[in-house]
Amino acid sequence: MIHIENLVKRYGSFVALDHLNLQIQEGEIFGLLGPNGSGKTTAICCLLALLKYDKGQITIFGKEMQPDRYDIKKDIGVVMQNVAVFEQMSVWENIDYFCGLYVKDKAKRRELVEEAIRFTDLEEYRKARPKKLSGGLLRRLNIACGIAHKPRLIILDEPTVAVDPQSRNKILEGIQELNRQGSTIIYTSHYMEEVEQICSRIAIIDHGRVLATGTTEELKNMIKTGETITIEAVAADEHLLEKLQTLPHVFDISYEKQVLKIRLSSGRHNLVRILNFLTEQDISFGRVFSELPTLNDVFLEITGKKLRD
Amino acid sequence: MLFLFKYRFLQTVRDLPIMFWALAFPLILATLFYFSFGRAGLSATGESKWEAVKVCVIDHSPAFSSFLQSMDGDALNILPSASEKEALQMLDEGTIAGIYYAGETPSLTVGRNGLNESILTTMLDTYNQNAAILKKIAETHPENLPAAIQSSQDYRQLVYETTLGGETLDPSVQYFFALIAYACLSGAFLGVRASFDSQANLTALGARRSVTPTHKLTLILIDMLVLVTIHFANIMILTIYIGNVLGISLGTDYTSLLLVNFMGSLIGITMGLAFGSLTKLSLNIKMSLTVVITLLPSFLAGLMFANMKNIIEQHVPFINRINPAAVLSDAYYCMGVYQDMDRFVRCIVTLVIMSILFLTAAFLGIRRERYDSI
Repeated sequence: MIHIENLVKRYGSFVALDHLNLQIQEGEIFGLLGPNGSGKTTAICCLLALLKYDKGQITIFGKEMQPDRYDIKKDIGVVMQNVAVFEQMSVWENIDYFCGLYVKDKAKRRELVEEAIRFTDLEEYRKARPKKLSGGLLRRLNIACGIAHKPRLIILDEPTVAVDPQSRNKILEGIQELNRQGSTIIYTSHYMEEVEQICSRIAIIDHGRVLATGTTEELKNMIKTGETITIEAVAADEHLLEKLQTLPHVFDISYEKQVLKIRLSSGRHNLVRILNFLTEQDISFGRVFSELPTLNDVFLEITGKKLRD
Repeated sequence: MLFLFKYRFLQTVRDLPIMFWALAFPLILATLFYFSFGRAGLSATGESKWEAVKVCVIDHSPAFSSFLQSMDGDALNILPSASEKEALQMLDEGTIAGIYYAGETPSLTVGRNGLNESILTTMLDTYNQNAAILKKIAETHPENLPAAIQSSQDYRQLVYETTLGGETLDPSVQYFFALIAYACLSGAFLGVRASFDSQANLTALGARRSVTPTHKLTLILIDMLVLVTIHFANIMILTIYIGNVLGISLGTDYTSLLLVNFMGSLIGITMGLAFGSLTKLSLNIKMSLTVVITLLPSFLAGLMFANMKNIIEQHVPFINRINPAAVLSDAYYCMGVYQDMDRFVRCIVTLVIMSILFLTAAFLGIRRERYDSI
């Protein structure tokens, strides 16, 4: 559905997009995961033909995207990172206005607006002006304005920034519902939990480059970490840490404030082996956790830094 | 497309800070001008109510008395007095400006020097001159006396005080023309705000509107149409307020007035659109600068100091030719005072050219669909 090939965007000497390549299939919820400033929004703006780019090609629905490709634009819905509504118009009027830029038929538009209001749970606030809405409600209005015309492709650029957990869950559920109704979704975020929760495929992006693409499982399988074992209240010394490092599958150890964190590659009985070793060494310890790798681990291993750095 | 018109209209008229600058502020200024200049202007031109000169008449020779009686209630207000003593007391108190002695030889006593006293003196002199002429005619050509008497009564006013167009002489009106010109330029506030909503590199709203399948030029044209309509209504409200509520005469050529008001609205809006679209500044900075770009031309056109336009005309007339506020106030003056059609047409043509230039600049600035940075 969407092909981005070798996209390069420079701001002077700064390279915002460095030969970015993406393929997005119809029906996906495609996550663009990366820290702030990694190039997610720039990629979206290029995709929407808002930004000039230096090199590369973008096709949507099999057609080359250009600013005057209104036939493509009519099937796209956009929810910008910043709330984009008219302060002087009510919830209903805002949705009707933006829907009207896509749908000319008045009766059909009325139906679509009502549906969008129900979908975003804004029935109580249809006459309210944006100033009267909380941050979460405002985000929902922002989404309603972008999706009311039922587009084939919906692009959501960090729609949950500065949203309370309850509203965030509602928004995420809504996005999944839109996908079930047939829309392809591109979802950018720096919240890995959200991306992991809703996206069927993910591209990890940093410094304007795609570092890895795949499903959550595929991404996790790409990295060395198979398991992270955390042991609290343990008194370890240099000697003990060196010995631990020699155990099978262990490839990284960190020890800070009496908390021992051991990262291991995939293998059977890793936890049992570690605990037996500590018992043999007569080392007492407190609580023990074992975690499977997260996207944060994936990002950490691929980029060498935490996602929210 | 009607819904686009409707929503842009609602969005604009509900934007109270913008409407304050575009409508309320000129109305407030007009009221302040009225109290500052309006009343002074009316009395300076003699349009205020004339008070007849109070006077007493002692003795009653038939000829002079009847002459004075014919002036009573018009130029004179003859107060009854019982005696000369009483009349002199009234003169001392300042109740009357003078005492006419209508004896064999008419005479006048006044208490001080002033306009009223001069009027009384002039009237006595006129009577004495006419009496002397008639006496001489009676002595030399008695047969012509009836015709001479008839002629002396046939008073004709040979000098009329009027404007070239016969419209208004109120000197304060130039302030009100400059004010309407300023109000027209205040449409720039509406234009700047609207241009902000169309630029994807400045606002999320601009970006959202830019990614829709509605052609950007359609959006810009509808925005402009709505804004010109709203601002034209603003200017008409101001004009009606000045003309009908404050009672300042702006002329009677209503067709021309509508034309200048429309051109003024157009130039204000297009100036704002051009300024808003050609600069990449925050909305607050743009709005602050809009105060400057509307007030400065208005100041040069005589909004705060009426003679400013004349000073510029003497030293750098080119400024008056390119200053939209000066051209607008000139157009109002041509229409309301001079009735100079050639100059009026020249002003309108200048305004049309300016509007086209501003509009072209605005289109070039806003119609851009891809940006270097967002």
